[in-house]
Amino acid sequence: VTEPRGIARRLPEGARDSLPTEAEELRQIESALRRELDAYGYREVATPVLEYADVLEGAIDQGLGDAFRLFDASGRVMVLRPDITVPVSRLVATRLAEHPGPVRAFYFGRAFRPPPPGAPQAAEVRQAGAELVGASGPAADAELIALLHRSLTGAGIGDLTIAVGDIALTEAVLDGLGVPRETRVLLGRALAARNLVEWQRIAAGLPLPAAAGDLLGRLPALRGGPEILERVCAVAPAAESVCDTTGELLDLLGRAGIGADVMLDVGIARDWPYYSGLVLEAHSPLVGAPLAAGGRYDLLAERFGAPRPSVGFAIDLDVLHRALALQGGNGAGSAPGVVLVGGLDAHLELAGRLRGLGVRVAGVAADHPDPSALARADGWARVLVVRDDRLIVSDLDGTRLADCASAEEVVRWLA
Amino acid sequence: VAGLRVCVPRGALFEGSLERLRAAGFDVSPLEDVGRKLIFRSPDDTLFITTRPTDVPTYVQAGAADVGIVGKDVLRERDPDVYEMADLRFGECRMVYATGADHDPTRDALDRLGSVRVATKYTRVARDYFERTGRQVELVKVNGSVELAPLVDLADGIVDLVATGTTLRENGLVAREEIFESSARLIANRVSHKVRAAEIDALAARLTGAP
Repeated sequence: VTEPRGIARRLPEGARDSLPTEAEELRQIESALRRELDAYGYREVATPVLEYADVLEGAIDQGLGDAFRLFDASGRVMVLRPDITVPVSRLVATRLAEHPGPVRAFYFGRAFRPPPPGAPQAAEVRQAGAELVGASGPAADAELIALLHRSLTGAGIGDLTIAVGDIALTEAVLDGLGVPRETRVLLGRALAARNLVEWQRIAAGLPLPAAAGDLLGRLPALRGGPEILERVCAVAPAAESVCDTTGELLDLLGRAGIGADVMLDVGIARDWPYYSGLVLEAHSPLVGAPLAAGGRYDLLAERFGAPRPSVGFAIDLDVLHRALALQGGNGAGSAPGVVLVGGLDAHLELAGRLRGLGVRVAGVAADHPDPSALARADGWARVLVVRDDRLIVSDLDGTRLADCASAEEVVRWLA
Repeated sequence: VAGLRVCVPRGALFEGSLERLRAAGFDVSPLEDVGRKLIFRSPDDTLFITTRPTDVPTYVQAGAADVGIVGKDVLRERDPDVYEMADLRFGECRMVYATGADHDPTRDALDRLGSVRVATKYTRVARDYFERTGRQVELVKVNGSVELAPLVDLADGIVDLVATGTTLRENGLVAREEIFESSARLIANRVSHKVRAAEIDALAARLTGAP
């Protein structure tokens, strides 16, 4: 190990490199996700990493908040996209305005957020997301949730919980109970901070009948099945239509065969302010952060001049990867690989033939002093040497395993 | 599935936490012994993890513990991304701004020097408070015996947690402004709060003595 020389080798706060094993595992996760997204007829799009800050800013009432900002040559403020939903919404509204809809789009990309001081948080988040634009109602929400479920299980997640809620449900209850506007701001702030103690304190201070006060105090902590909806409606009849819609959604998810993995979570709070209806989070018990999050944002596309109801999710690929790694299993399960002595010079033709047969071949010169060391560093288990027209397969200790006459025979040995 | 993992703070809230856990029916005696264990699984399969108070949010946010007991002071200072589920109503104290009992140098410092110098362990709490009240502040981060700072002119005043006020009095200080009231809180990891909802709610009910 070389002695580190301090700042010269350091990365910015929250940034990190990916080495081959990690990169390969991620590639496999991505291809599994792509397969599932394809199967639902979603099509891939990409947006630039750099955008004008005012364009994205204009889409969100509260603004973008923390983001990396820089200037272009004319002095206009640019931003490293802190989120991909807004840019994709811009793309769909401007480039696909003539599309009859619904637009089914997915993306793989990185979002950038400056880590708060002192908090070891990634500045770059690798995401895979899907957006369904131009469709509303429980059926559209259900498709997106089913797609998320299938994507995560397709990537290999065994134990999955998808928590769903609806912003409109909380709003309807607050309407029904006649909670004044100023109080709602305070309640909203407590919920965003996940501070249920503060929520209960505010609720307890309102002049409400006992049953209503009790419901309001417990509202954000209600999680479970459809029985919650009955409980809410019994006390706050104003919420009935939202409860019906949510009930219908749960019903559809049950019919899609994923009801057991879905829970209703009334107090679910999302970090972005553009959500207007459904909100969701996907959880694995193995990791302490959500695998994915999303929801419905019917008012966002309007900001880009083409109002269309939209719903989407974004999977955090690093959290998903961590959950899969903790779950165990084989990881990258690499294709058979071999170090071919002479693969750089004397035996180019053999190297080509093996690669054509699907073997990963790392070539070294015929006079390479230590091909085993290279094999070890790259995770290959075998070294191939050509001696008197015979192809000799050895392990990394030099033990001869096979003496083959043809490339095909070598492939069988490596498999 | 194994039992819940509960993070318990060693320190000022330790005794109160154990008392509450005992009242809730847990046998936590292995945590009380002199050569006490850092980690202990109770017969009902609940796993107790003891850490420094300021580390409790770290364990819970990362999901190394499902729930934790922690002072509101630590939550305000660390602002972790966790659910603050319940006020356990013990370990009550106040976060205050205190200066010398015979003379409050705050006004003078602000008028003549433009800012007030404040020693504290709670730099985030202090910065937020002085910002909110429109006063410039120069913070001195200390890690213990905060009361000492004004006595040797390291700072004009201190921001610190006060239970009875005895320590302040003994050092010739007096609380000038109350910033917030603190008490022990039950916090939960974001994921555990969903995937183990029933168990966590049951534990919260046991700990708060709710029906």
